[in-house]
Amino acid sequence: MTFKRSYLSLALLLVTGQVAANDMVPGKQQQKPILLTDATIHTATQGVLEQTDLLMVDGKIAKIGQDLTAPANAEVIDLKGKHIYPGLIALVNQLGLIEIEAVRSTDDTHEVTDTNPDVRAGIAYNADSEVIPTVRTNGFSYSLVYPRGDRLMGQSSLMQLDAWNWQDATVKGQVALHINWPNASVLSSPWAPKEPEEMAKNNAKNMTELRAYFVQAKAYATAKAANQHRGIDSRWEAMLPVLKGERPVFVHADDARQIKQAMLFAKEYQLKLVIVGGRDSWRVADELAAAKIPVVFTAPYGLPERDEEPVDIAYKTPALLQKAGVQFALSQDGYWNTRNVVFAAGQAVNYGLTKEQALAAVTINAAKIAGMDSDIGSLEVGKAASVVVSDGDIFDYLGHKVRYMWIDGRAVDLNNRNLQLKDKYEQRYGK
Amino acid sequence: MKLFPLSLLNAAILCAGAPALADQTSPIHGIRDKTPQLVAFTGATVHTEPGKTLQNATVLISNGKITAVGTGLAVPNGYRTIDSKGHHIYAGFIDLYSNYGVDAPKEGGSNSYRDEPVYQNERQGGNASNAAIHAEQQWVNTFKPDEEAAKNLTTQGFTVVQSARMDGIFRGQAVVASLGNGLPGELILKADASHFMSFEKGSSVQSYPSSLMGSIALVRQTLADANWYKSAYGKTDWRFFGQAIEFNAALAALGKLNDTGLVFEVDSERSLLRADSLIKEFNLAKASYVASGFEYARVAEVKNTGRPLIVPVAYPKAPAVAKMDDQLDVSLADLRHWDRAPSNLAALTKAGVPVALTTYKLEKTEQFWPNVRLAVKYGLSESAALAALTTTPAEMLGMPGQLGRIANGYQADIVIANGDLFKDGEIVATWTRGQEHAFKPINDPDFTGEYALDLAGEKLQLQISKADGALEAKLVAGDKNVKVDSFNIDKQQLQFSAALNEVSKTKGVAQFSGVLSGQQLFGDVRMPNGQQLKITASRKAMPAAADEKKDVTPKLVSKLTFPNLPFGYEIPVQQKNVHIKNATVWTSDKAGKLENTDVIVADGEFKEIGKDLSTPSGYEVIDATGMHLTAGLIDEHSHIAIEMGVNEGSDAVTSEVNIGDVISPDDINIYRGLAGGTTTSQLLHGSANPIGGQAQIIQLRWGVSPEGLKFKNAPKSIKFALGENVKQSNWGEAFTSRYPQSRVGVETVIRDAFQAAKEYKASWEAYDDLSSSEQKRVAPPRVDYRLQTLVEILDKKRFIHTHSYVASEILMLIHLADEMGFKVTTFTHILEGYKVADEMKAHGASASTFADWWAYKMEVQDAIPTNACIMASRGLVVSVNSDDAGLQRLLNQEAAKSVAYCGMSEEDALKMVTLNPAIQLKIDDKVGSVVEGKQADFVLWSGHPLSVYSKSVQTWIEGIPYYDAKRDLVAQQQIGVERQQLIQKVLGATDEEKAGSGGGYKKPDPLWQCETDGDVFKNRLNLQHQH
Repeated sequence: MTFKRSYLSLALLLVTGQVAANDMVPGKQQQKPILLTDATIHTATQGVLEQTDLLMVDGKIAKIGQDLTAPANAEVIDLKGKHIYPGLIALVNQLGLIEIEAVRSTDDTHEVTDTNPDVRAGIAYNADSEVIPTVRTNGFSYSLVYPRGDRLMGQSSLMQLDAWNWQDATVKGQVALHINWPNASVLSSPWAPKEPEEMAKNNAKNMTELRAYFVQAKAYATAKAANQHRGIDSRWEAMLPVLKGERPVFVHADDARQIKQAMLFAKEYQLKLVIVGGRDSWRVADELAAAKIPVVFTAPYGLPERDEEPVDIAYKTPALLQKAGVQFALSQDGYWNTRNVVFAAGQAVNYGLTKEQALAAVTINAAKIAGMDSDIGSLEVGKAASVVVSDGDIFDYLGHKVRYMWIDGRAVDLNNRNLQLKDKYEQRYGK
Repeated sequence: MKLFPLSLLNAAILCAGAPALADQTSPIHGIRDKTPQLVAFTGATVHTEPGKTLQNATVLISNGKITAVGTGLAVPNGYRTIDSKGHHIYAGFIDLYSNYGVDAPKEGGSNSYRDEPVYQNERQGGNASNAAIHAEQQWVNTFKPDEEAAKNLTTQGFTVVQSARMDGIFRGQAVVASLGNGLPGELILKADASHFMSFEKGSSVQSYPSSLMGSIALVRQTLADANWYKSAYGKTDWRFFGQAIEFNAALAALGKLNDTGLVFEVDSERSLLRADSLIKEFNLAKASYVASGFEYARVAEVKNTGRPLIVPVAYPKAPAVAKMDDQLDVSLADLRHWDRAPSNLAALTKAGVPVALTTYKLEKTEQFWPNVRLAVKYGLSESAALAALTTTPAEMLGMPGQLGRIANGYQADIVIANGDLFKDGEIVATWTRGQEHAFKPINDPDFTGEYALDLAGEKLQLQISKADGALEAKLVAGDKNVKVDSFNIDKQQLQFSAALNEVSKTKGVAQFSGVLSGQQLFGDVRMPNGQQLKITASRKAMPAAADEKKDVTPKLVSKLTFPNLPFGYEIPVQQKNVHIKNATVWTSDKAGKLENTDVIVADGEFKEIGKDLSTPSGYEVIDATGMHLTAGLIDEHSHIAIEMGVNEGSDAVTSEVNIGDVISPDDINIYRGLAGGTTTSQLLHGSANPIGGQAQIIQLRWGVSPEGLKFKNAPKSIKFALGENVKQSNWGEAFTSRYPQSRVGVETVIRDAFQAAKEYKASWEAYDDLSSSEQKRVAPPRVDYRLQTLVEILDKKRFIHTHSYVASEILMLIHLADEMGFKVTTFTHILEGYKVADEMKAHGASASTFADWWAYKMEVQDAIPTNACIMASRGLVVSVNSDDAGLQRLLNQEAAKSVAYCGMSEEDALKMVTLNPAIQLKIDDKVGSVVEGKQADFVLWSGHPLSVYSKSVQTWIEGIPYYDAKRDLVAQQQIGVERQQLIQKVLGATDEEKAGSGGGYKKPDPLWQCETDGDVFKNRLNLQHQH
């Protein structure tokens, strides 16, 4: 035990000493107009514009068009042959909440009770995480971070990825209540923690408990409306906007049965539902489309859930959702691997999406699901000047090379810990 | 001794020949039992042996033996005669796999993975060093008859069992005993029968073995130890040991294994093949296997073992498909097995595999006969079934002249049934060595038929018929009828009650009591009003029932594919000669990338590569215009296709375990890898210990046997590991006692192991130098597979792939390797390789890395996605690997990341998943590039192989198209159709068919990761998704 504790504190020391703050300095507020010229502009909402210019003024997109005139003292950047995209949005991950997964002291994702609707991820977001710049370097400007947990996990926050602290980083502090939906499957595997009968019982018990939380929250809302409550219950208080349908519920559910349960549940409580995970969402795509329930599909590289499912079912799922008319975003639940979501969008094109649909899945659709599409998620006049430039096709390994990024017109440092180490050790070899 | 009870019920067990204390040495107390033991069965249908039947025959038994069998035999004077007309007589059945009369093991210790590990076995007497070895146990020593358990078996016709405790890997020596009553010594037929074995460690709480490969290694080492012990024990020249040879009763017992034989229980046909190759390594001739029920899936290979099988007849419970939503949890593989399980015996016997039946695994022993009959309906011939119960097990016991036949001189073990047992006969009595166990009266009157009753002028008909083995009766008047209540028959007496309302003017319940005498029924009826009537009726045979249940021959609905999984092949794919036209060919060789190029593949090799080649006659042509062709992708680091544990994570050094012993061709991830263009994978042991297990290079040949999966003539390799995993940093509180717990100890453990290997080698060299007469005098060194593997490394016959992350440990191992005289072939993971690239290069090592993984634990904090580029630029041979069942489908994209992150040339990037891993695995003379003369392993891509917008269209290994995207689509359709048909079969099955009888399904392995630690035998898994 003594050994263990000293080891842990050693780890803590290392962590705080080594990785507490990254060296990248957040961009300064935009001082002068910036004109990007002659690029291929992937607007995400208005199609692809060839040889077009984009003007950013005071952190907003001021103009998009061919042969724009540069305002006085504007910085003009020639992007001939290059591609402009909206700053990419990664929904649903732990960026800034975990630094090193195996080191407990660097993990701020998980509270102990089943009922944490009042916890907010954003206030633990470490804007100085070494991981964040590595994700920016691949084109991501925004991330929706959420707390993990066993049932009512808490509230997610939409962050922009270039900031001095979480306060600066916060775009929207309370985006959604996240629920880890009770398991619906029963597996008879020796590796399963319980016998199938016991698992079925446990699943039912968890559903009953979840229902009870909503009954209690609703009772609280009713009592409070009549001014009959006995003081503030922090948990149920946080659920008031959810019960009013003002704040969406992001239900983490992969199994078709969970999704169906969640849809019925949302109808009963008149919740604004979003499905997160959605490995089986292709099985219920028509129902999701009819009920206008969006999906954040987080397994773009997933293995099939079942042996007899097609090898490429996860790759194809975005196209199947698209075909059924489901609104969806692409993501990957994690932190360091968030940078691969950009290639996952390419993979979805390989399996049936158009490039524009794939782009929407990591920009405008994500913005809509996060309720911020009036400000971000596409290149349109009046929207935030959050723009990313790649030498070639950003989704393909053969074209991907992020050259510039601005968030709200602020130039983002695209360096990161990975690149710094590369630079350092290249000196060892005399480069 | 307890006296045998005489039950008054009709299922009484009568023990005509059970005298108290009848052995030769017990003093007699009281009066001697001198009941004569002369019995004649007459008029029976006698099945003297499989395929031979005598009608209307007589069997004589005398003093526990059969003395005569034949038709027209006169019964000698003095015999008790049992009229057996209408009955069938069989030889008593033999169950070769039983724990009858043997105490159950004590409960094992805690099953929690989080508990303190146990590294040592408590030594007592001459027990073995591992707690799963009980070979010194001779179960004859504690054998005690068990009345209840015996009855369970004799009611099914069994008379003899081979029995031992079913616990552990070496389970001890069985005893063959009669199921009769008496003193243990009287009942024992063979004291030194087979040793029972398995791969399951049972009640042992010792950590080792914690994986199937660990079990296999333990069996191998123990059998070798037994051979060594035979030659070493008692020798006085113990120069190689420095002390006298230990007394070891377990090893002494196993020294006689070749004479006693062994019975090995397995849980799948794959493990059957594994056990057999292991047993053959030691030339053990007398072996049989307890079948798993899955043998139908690889019946040819099972047949090739040449071993007899002991086959349970337990079938699985039907998968839960009643609720549509639940079907999401039901796999096609399970549906198929439920469909096919009852046909396993037919498949085995038709293939010519000798089989014996056992009641083992049945939830209830009385399910035995219904299940045998089901097997008969599914194609098992009656004579094969009878052989499996009698002659075959008798031969397997080495007692073919005593047991298994109704013949003169054979033991009087006899089964009497009131009909053909394989159709609907019921066993009425079983005799063990002349001792009678009667369950049903023989030759009781047959009540079935019609009786015309006259109830005070009202005509009613009593109909008695047989349904589901029991009699039932109804009263009929015209088209109305009523079933009678409290229907009871005892010998000749019949009683029942009947509510008359439906069939009579009289209301109320009438009661009947009568006796059948010959064909006449005499009795009394008490009418509802108390009036007593005398009744006489003649028995008339019933007209054949129109609604008799039709005996439908069951039909197999499922496909049997190779492997027997979704996407398996009904007929294994064959090698083809093809002409691929007009592709962009990435050679991964000097020739570079060739546009508009043809490739001719013949006899599994690249025959010709060039432009506008002409098609040799008979060759298939593939127009690859617009497509790209690359060599098949190679994964240096994979954990797919491994069964029951990727880590033998118990000891710090486990070089004796071998992934090659536990590869499984039945992993869907083989197919998934193929679909992503991967053709070759090195299956590595996990990273739980500094010196891990031996690796196995495989080719992803979907549908072959376990042996067929192995890369032919591939060099041997082994996994080492350094850093957090081996020092158990993230294993939890309980794991802080194993050496090493820090990087400083990792070095000393490895050094000491190699020092031991050197000394081991020296011992053997010294021994080999002795003259043959000296060799006879001296206790020879012991074969130690753990050290022998390390000697192979020192002798450059086995190559190290070491899990490693940080610069310090990389340098440590390089220094240690130089000091001890070995080489590290490949540093795998090697996320800080960029920091010490020149040192690795100087050592002669290569590097295999993740494309972009980092941040998941402390030691990967300095990982960078430009690692591959920097290492390559310093002249290292670099590959990227998957270490993941998902990523192995995307190796081309993993390689492409170096193009994206650091501008590696496209051809060099592709080499990181083709030629470079081939070099690292030392198979680059055969695969890894598209060069004339090399094995035709290739992938046809829809476009540029490094683009995110390309996918594999076809994947070939040695000229065999193992994956074809078009065929995959067809298979997807077929899976849906077959699934629906199987679900229909389940839904239409009877409750009995759905309930099953104790058979199980295959246990799917989880997705193994480097760090999946735990104990597969205790389900103590710690599934961590780290690497």
